[in-house]
Amino acid sequence: MPASDKTIGEALDQLFATRGAAPAETAIILPAEPYLDAAGEALRRRIFLTRGEGGENLCLRPDFTIPVCMRHIAEGADLPRRYSYRGLVFRQRADGPAEFVQAGIEDLGEDNRAMADARAVADALASLETCGIALDGLDVILGDQGLFEAVLRALGLPEGWQRRLIRTFGHDGQLRAALESLSKGPESALEGLAPELLDLARDREEGALTRLIRGRMEEAGLPPHSGRSPGEIAARLIEKVAVAEARLGEGPLQLLENFLAVACPLDEAGERLAEVMGTAGLDLGRAMTAFETRNLALRAANVDLARVTYRAAFGRPIDYYTGLVFEARDKGAEDPLVGGGRYDRLMTILGAGTPIPAVGFSLWIDRIEKVSDCGISA
Amino acid sequence: MTITLAIPSKGRLMEKSLEALKSAGVEVSAGETRSYRTQVEGFDGLEVLLLSASEIARELRDGAIDFGITGEDLVRETIPEPDNAAAIVARLGFGHADVVVAVPEAWVDVQAMADLGDVAGSFRARHGRRLRIATKYWRLTQGFFSRTHGIQSYRIVESLGATEGAPAAGSADIIVDITSTGSTLVANRLKILSDGVILKSEACLVRSMPGRRDDADAALADELARRFAG
Repeated sequence: MPASDKTIGEALDQLFATRGAAPAETAIILPAEPYLDAAGEALRRRIFLTRGEGGENLCLRPDFTIPVCMRHIAEGADLPRRYSYRGLVFRQRADGPAEFVQAGIEDLGEDNRAMADARAVADALASLETCGIALDGLDVILGDQGLFEAVLRALGLPEGWQRRLIRTFGHDGQLRAALESLSKGPESALEGLAPELLDLARDREEGALTRLIRGRMEEAGLPPHSGRSPGEIAARLIEKVAVAEARLGEGPLQLLENFLAVACPLDEAGERLAEVMGTAGLDLGRAMTAFETRNLALRAANVDLARVTYRAAFGRPIDYYTGLVFEARDKGAEDPLVGGGRYDRLMTILGAGTPIPAVGFSLWIDRIEKVSDCGISA
Repeated sequence: MTITLAIPSKGRLMEKSLEALKSAGVEVSAGETRSYRTQVEGFDGLEVLLLSASEIARELRDGAIDFGITGEDLVRETIPEPDNAAAIVARLGFGHADVVVAVPEAWVDVQAMADLGDVAGSFRARHGRRLRIATKYWRLTQGFFSRTHGIQSYRIVESLGATEGAPAAGSADIIVDITSTGSTLVANRLKILSDGVILKSEACLVRSMPGRRDDADAALADELARRFAG
């Protein structure tokens, strides 16, 4: 059973090759802007930043997904295509060394999303087995942001609220806080709004509001063509007032809570979701079809659905993740041995001319080694 | 057997610091102009240095001085884990100022951080770039936006002066800045969000915690802290 870094590495290289992924070479020193731009400023204190002589921000490679995707865009290679990688990444972290090895696959441009998703999960699990980890010692968790978004739509929540909730999806505390303020009345949301503005917004006087806002922007000397426009601000104010003054019944909130509480084996998830939504006579439409199609594809890829836990509230609060997310952890442990998901919005953020579907996973080789060593000695 | 205390080297902060020391029984005379050394009476073994307020925060972080008088904003911005690396011995009751999130007054739809989160979330889709925040407080900003309010989609534009002018200059959309009366913000047609106060800051006596002092110095440091704690 492979346990050392070298043998694990070679075994993975071999597995990736048989799964049709070609190795992508990336530099260790990378421009930091794409990271800060795509993943957000929160990354700043977790990566190793430096400045080039010309003042540009550079960083030590914090992950492979972004450089692999950027390399693909730069080369303009044909799609679909699978890339593999294995190498050092660098992050400031409290719970381990700052440099460690990751390996994984990025699957770009496959339009059959169900199949590509299933392949990512199956390959991730096969990688763990290749590293000497028994799958029955793992918690495998799967979530789907697409279903969450479909529930919000089906409930008929105002768009402003849908956006707010989607932003917090995957962060239980913040999602809870957002739900709480959703259940509160309009008073707090409109506090401090001048009565004249409130009246204009209530009457949906978009033109008058736009003129008024444009006047204020001119007085403040704000550049007219950079950033938010008067019309955009007026439209959002009208929407905000409408949302704040619409009373949401207890029903939708309760249903949303019930949905978020769903956690069950993946092979029972369809039934559970139908139950929860069915009580309210709601249908999740295409998102549900996509979910079920993926489950079929997972079965076809030999993934045992009974061993995977579907958690409705499981997601990543980063805005380029769009659908599937999954993780496998040693039973009872906190840190994932592998994590992955679908990030259909990343390629355009990084400069691709057209949207490119993308899904991938990343293995934490240092954690895997620890677990597989324990397994052997025990 | 000496301990060092750094105080701001100029302006009202320096005067007020000298007053605060005096009421703790320490007489410091700033001596000749442009000298960073001082004469100290009333506390044997205490050396008082004159430094800029931001330098004081850095020296505290590095454990290069034992005490410093500086703004809490600078302490929290400069020291990654201020609660481990330094201790606030006393809040001195001057140098009051708030670190705040301010947006253009014309953003009539944005009153609170939740509004800003919504705007930031759809900013890229509308404008092809992230919402930009001008600030010199990147650590405080990031903690407040990312951790307290769960807002991930923004970029920080580092600004080392005249931050309040950034929206009009077009270099940023909103700002995080320090303000005492708010008048500069008003003059620049900016408004503070209702829940946008990140930190209520004032001048503090801060003790560095390097844990490398010998017993005699530690006793001296304890004594100085006691004079202010009372």
